[in-house]
Amino acid sequence: MAATKTTFTRDAGLQSRMLLTLFLLGALYVAFVGVLFAAGVQGFMILLIAGGFAALQFFTSDKLALHAMGAREVTPQEAPELHSMIERLCIQADLPKPKIAVAYTEMPNAFAIGKSQKSATVCATTGIMKMLTPAELEGVMAHELAHVKNRDVMIMTIASFFASVAAMILQFGFLFGGGHSDDDDGPGFLVILLASLVVYVLSFLLMMALSRYREFSADRGAALTTGRPSALASALRKISSGMDRLPQQDLRAANELSAFFIASPKKVIGGLFATHPPMEKRIEQLMRLEGELQRGVPAAA
Amino acid sequence: MGFLDAIMGGKKKLKAPPAADKLFAMSTAYVTLSTGHGIDTKGVAAIVFQPLATADFEAIVSEMEELLAGTGADTGTTISTSEDSHGYRWIELRDDDIEDLVVGVHAVSDALMVGGYGDRVLAAVFAYKDSKGRRVYFIYNYKRGFWYPFVPSSGTQSRDGERELQIKAMIGTELPIEPELERWFPLWGIPI
Repeated sequence: MAATKTTFTRDAGLQSRMLLTLFLLGALYVAFVGVLFAAGVQGFMILLIAGGFAALQFFTSDKLALHAMGAREVTPQEAPELHSMIERLCIQADLPKPKIAVAYTEMPNAFAIGKSQKSATVCATTGIMKMLTPAELEGVMAHELAHVKNRDVMIMTIASFFASVAAMILQFGFLFGGGHSDDDDGPGFLVILLASLVVYVLSFLLMMALSRYREFSADRGAALTTGRPSALASALRKISSGMDRLPQQDLRAANELSAFFIASPKKVIGGLFATHPPMEKRIEQLMRLEGELQRGVPAAA
Repeated sequence: MGFLDAIMGGKKKLKAPPAADKLFAMSTAYVTLSTGHGIDTKGVAAIVFQPLATADFEAIVSEMEELLAGTGADTGTTISTSEDSHGYRWIELRDDDIEDLVVGVHAVSDALMVGGYGDRVLAAVFAYKDSKGRRVYFIYNYKRGFWYPFVPSSGTQSRDGERELQIKAMIGTELPIEPELERWFPLWGIPI
């Protein structure tokens, strides 16, 4: 049926890899909660306290992130081009219009924050707006909107919940565990500590993998929204070469937020530890999509 | 969008595309607008989409333009094409008969959909003016299958929200109006 055809085909491989990662992460967390329960009251209390902290972080993170970047919401009168570009992309992506912010920094980057589609904010730096052509910037903003559409902030926050719990338990452990000799802590606490360490390390690796898959899928979403994969590829190339020349101060402030940037501000650490896939891989994927387009989709059967 | 789709980051496409009769609702709604409220057609409508720089896409567009020129010989509809600063392409149709405009706009979107490029269509826009000569646009969002009024006012990117809501009240149930006000997206720089 002609009506259900899309410009691009689905990427089943990416989706199954992402599903596997989510499954492993879920299984890991289920096991972790099991250990906490088995260890008794102590572990459960820690879970509650850590949960409280995580929730607090979750509900204040938006404003903190914007503030840390020195970003400010802009009105349509202040940034008419950016607003109308995003309005059109929202029609194409079937999203409500997010808040739009601009960060006054030379670092070429963009990010999206917000727990839901309705409360989302997308932000571009003045550096990226200067560096890219309108079509390239459109690709980047479409990438950020795809993060909003895919609810990536929510998913990564939930995915990182138990990882933060584990991290907190480890900190507790080092603070109070080593202080006094054996007795009342008993073996229960040691088990919790060990389990936390394992959970922390494994979930870290899984989350980085998940984050990379979300990037690929946001690139894909951007290509679907704009129909111009090459424009985004070209933007990524410009950004990656621009990033190398940048001073370190800006990057340090941005480290914490890197998960939702268009490009990772850190130097590529590569492999398992990177939140973003290597640029070449992303560009390669976009070029594959462009190839699909250029060959032309089959006419209605 | 389902839970799994959200998790998987998949499915950018909406369910079934909205039935074409929602577009055609304009032909009857126009009678109410014109006779009851003094909002008359400017004799022009447009459809706006993202052009793809591919041979297949351009072939489909030029084929469709030829078709329109052919039927235009009978109906008196003339067409012209322009591109705006955002890189979107507008196909403008001129005809004093609103039904011919609706049929023409539908022909364009249908050709793109049959060609597999339905998701490139941004919107259809019908241009009207009220009794005081002010511009009133009706925008049809294909992805959602809803109409909404758009009344730009003087100044950078400002619109007359009050007037738009009045028009929504006038039209009542004759046109499927976008229920979520935050999706009444403006379109700046409409060439018609």
